[in-house]
Amino acid sequence: MTNQQQATTQQQILAPAAMSRPFSPAMLWHLLPWVIALIFFFVGDGYHSLGTNILVMILFALSLDLALGYAGIITLGHAAFFGAGAYAAGIFAIHFNADPVLGLLAATAIAGLLGLLTGMLILHTRGETLLMLTLAIAAIFYEIANHARWLTGGDDGLSGIRVTPVFGLFRFDLWGKTAFLYALSVLFIWFIIAALVVRSPFGRSLDGIRQNTKRMRAIGTPVWWRLVAMYSLSAAMAGSAGALTAQSTRLVGLSTLELLTSGIVAVMLVLGGERRLYGAFIGAAIYVVVQDFAGSISPFIWMFVIGFLLIIIVLFFEGGLMGIIDSVVAKLKGKADASGQTGKRT
Amino acid sequence: MQALTILLDGISYGMVLFIISVGLTVTMGLMRVVNLAHGAFAMIGGYIATVLVLQAGVPFLLSALIAAVVAGALGGLAELTVYRPLYRKGELPQVLLTIGLCFVVIAGLTLFVGATPLPAIVPASLDRMVDIGFRSYPAYRLFLIVVGAVLAFIVWLIVERSLFGARLRAAVDDPQMARAVGMNVNRMFTVTFIGGCALAGFGGAIGAGVLPLEPFYALRYLVYFLIVVAVGGMGSFRGSLVAALAIGIVDTAGRYIVPQFGGFLLYVLVFGLLLWRPNGLLPPKSVA
Amino acid sequence: MKRRLIASAAAALITLSTAAYADVVKFGIIAPFSGPFAVWGKQFKDSVEAFQKLNGKSVNGHEIQIIWRDEGAGDASKSRQFAEELILREKVNVLGGFALTPDALAVSEVISESKTPTIILNAATSIVTRKSPYFLRVSMTVAQYVSPLGGWAVQNGIKSIYTMVSDYAPGIDAQDEFLSGFEKAGGKVLGKDRVPLNVTDFAPYMERALQSKADGLFIFAPAGAPSVAMVREFERRGLKAAGMKLLGTGEMQEIFLPSFGDSILGAISSTHYTESNQRPENIAFRKALTEVAGKDAVPDMASIAVWDALGLVYETVKALGPKFTGDQAIDFMKSKTINSPRGPISWDPKERDIIQNVYIREVKKVDGKLINVDLATYEKVRDPWKDNHPDAK
Repeated sequence: MTNQQQATTQQQILAPAAMSRPFSPAMLWHLLPWVIALIFFFVGDGYHSLGTNILVMILFALSLDLALGYAGIITLGHAAFFGAGAYAAGIFAIHFNADPVLGLLAATAIAGLLGLLTGMLILHTRGETLLMLTLAIAAIFYEIANHARWLTGGDDGLSGIRVTPVFGLFRFDLWGKTAFLYALSVLFIWFIIAALVVRSPFGRSLDGIRQNTKRMRAIGTPVWWRLVAMYSLSAAMAGSAGALTAQSTRLVGLSTLELLTSGIVAVMLVLGGERRLYGAFIGAAIYVVVQDFAGSISPFIWMFVIGFLLIIIVLFFEGGLMGIIDSVVAKLKGKADASGQTGKRT
Repeated sequence: MQALTILLDGISYGMVLFIISVGLTVTMGLMRVVNLAHGAFAMIGGYIATVLVLQAGVPFLLSALIAAVVAGALGGLAELTVYRPLYRKGELPQVLLTIGLCFVVIAGLTLFVGATPLPAIVPASLDRMVDIGFRSYPAYRLFLIVVGAVLAFIVWLIVERSLFGARLRAAVDDPQMARAVGMNVNRMFTVTFIGGCALAGFGGAIGAGVLPLEPFYALRYLVYFLIVVAVGGMGSFRGSLVAALAIGIVDTAGRYIVPQFGGFLLYVLVFGLLLWRPNGLLPPKSVA
Repeated sequence: MKRRLIASAAAALITLSTAAYADVVKFGIIAPFSGPFAVWGKQFKDSVEAFQKLNGKSVNGHEIQIIWRDEGAGDASKSRQFAEELILREKVNVLGGFALTPDALAVSEVISESKTPTIILNAATSIVTRKSPYFLRVSMTVAQYVSPLGGWAVQNGIKSIYTMVSDYAPGIDAQDEFLSGFEKAGGKVLGKDRVPLNVTDFAPYMERALQSKADGLFIFAPAGAPSVAMVREFERRGLKAAGMKLLGTGEMQEIFLPSFGDSILGAISSTHYTESNQRPENIAFRKALTEVAGKDAVPDMASIAVWDALGLVYETVKALGPKFTGDQAIDFMKSKTINSPRGPISWDPKERDIIQNVYIREVKKVDGKLINVDLATYEKVRDPWKDNHPDAK
């Protein structure tokens, strides 16, 4: 284990301690993303779809953080569950029931189940083999969706999705205001679940598995089952994100299952910083906004920008953007308070 | 007779996959780097060769060789600057950085060369049919088989019969031990990385008739290159040859016999195979 | 993040204040500039620059401003998001773009609700214009430009056919439309293959086609890497040497011909625009295009579509002034007849779909350059799918 890893572990042990303290002013930081989101809701006219898209990608990146960041399951096929959730929600709305919450739950359950089944098959492997297996699963899902044109619309995409008002009260308006709040609520619920899970003994044991599988096995931890459990949870969450995109845009395309989608969500996660929960927030937000901005200025350059950003982040800023923020905060704290705390960390 | 045609088609396709992927098996097996940018080196090679042929009138084979040299040099540069710090990091940073490299190359080529697919540079002498006894068959495909076989033989000579190869195999099997006995593993990494990228660049250039060049080449065919490495066994040279040929033949036969399921077949087989043998068909000793 | 928000709020204020000067007419175009279809975006942009160079950037003093959005990865939800942003934030007067059908379908609700006139620059599935009364198509439908080819083939000695199309909706539409014309004229179908979109090696499919010993092979593949690989394999495998005629559509656009080399000589295609035609409009168009995009610039379906779309927008502003409702604009546009570089074009007032000539061409070498030469012209071709499905929604 390198020094860096040890340092990370120590910080992680510190982090929950900071959380379980009684109130401290530093804890107010946790409100920041939600406050920003709510302000955006009131001032962001015309950008609510962009906002919803960001929220969806945050949720998707967060789901990847559970599998990849916390459980160390190296995957390049997470789009499989995102797409499965999106198609499940779309098909559910068209053929069974247009209620968004029911659709969301169904999609989440189906994606979770697929995660459980595929996870049971592949999670005894590791490293590059596991990477290839996740790739293959996503490719197989893609081919299924492409061939089952009668069900999925194939290459033309699934359209004609109808969504009734949320709880029969809030209609999905044209400009996506309802969709934004709806997505925000779903993200909030999942965030709480994720935060609780990574701090639970179960989450800690995964930390141990990621760092030293053999030792964890030696002390009697059911490694495989724990990994499968976390993978299914992550898949369910990715499925929710997919369902949100299906319901907010009323469209599902094959691109939800593409390799590029899996790659991009990993890019978002690392950009923000893995194993930090909030990393997903920053990474997804920046990626989508940069793509949008660069796209409107000179559409040719955004791939360049993202590519360079990735190389620089990986080479020089291991913890992603959240890592940079953390070290700045730590420095400031170090000056003000010798004991130092990592209040802003999750 | 039809079976023989499918076999030839499959082998020639597989040879292109082999030439491009054999370098990847080194990076992933020896250096333990998940190198998703490998396709980018093949693409750069292909672009260089195409530009040389079309703009400067350089002969096909010569331009492919120049492409190999340039791709190798760029590979060496990349190894020294961005790959070296990666060896100590986990798979995720490796995946991300190499995707970043891919993005930069794709954006760069789109900007400088354009977004349309490149013209074929297969010379007229190869772009015709020759009589092979039972039928006439594309000369280009035969050329690919011959070149692939020659390169496979050369790689075999280097890996199995040279001192460098012996060291390389030792380093793949047990990198710590290799270091302990005083091998300069770092230099070995650089040299093999250059070799791998040069081969990829060469493959990208001569294989352009099978894998057409366009800016998204680096990502579009990546899965195939990765499959070759994973199925063959990471770091196994014989494995990557066997896997590339098997994939070429299975993919071709699948499309010929059951075209409606062509897309599925390969992925399902790969999935099954990796579950059955997680380390591939012929894994090197270190992981066997 | 806070600063970013303030910055964007400030940017929003600036946009609002410029929007107050009402004599700027904004035309928002959503098209791929990155990703596998990036060539569309580039062609659009070059053509727009050429148009504005020739016709100026304003009409009667009203500036015509083009606002671009990059919908790169073929992700239709982005298309919808950009449409909302362009309509609400940028307050565009006219919307346009959409390389792929899903991109166009994705915005139909938004433009219906906001009554934004929307010009389809490519998306070629017939049904699209029925999804909103504010859609108007300047490109073509697949059924439209394929429809004359089957009958022509039989009349010109191609009595039996093998079809090979990419396995997606436009491919299947093309196959069905071609075969209906071909069989009606008495031709014989020897085989039909659908090739998955991600296929790169066409050897096995071409081998099947070769074994069928048909007189001709009809292909349909997304213009770009797949179509290039398909046609190269046709040559290399000796189908051409065996006397088979290659029939296609957009694959043989002039812009792609250099990718094939001389092997493409003799290939037949049917489309709505022959790039090298000698109409004065076309000569002026190509001249302007080479002035802005270099001497090797070649127009294609994308260039011609956006060229005519801009023509429509300029005419609209000329007739209605800088302020018009969506209904006024659509009513005006669909009643126009334009002398386009491709030939005369008009619109079906009920369907808001384009009526135009379809040309059957052959690839020939003229002055050392590969170009398409017209063999036959079918005038004022409507979209046959619409006529066959009057009630489909």
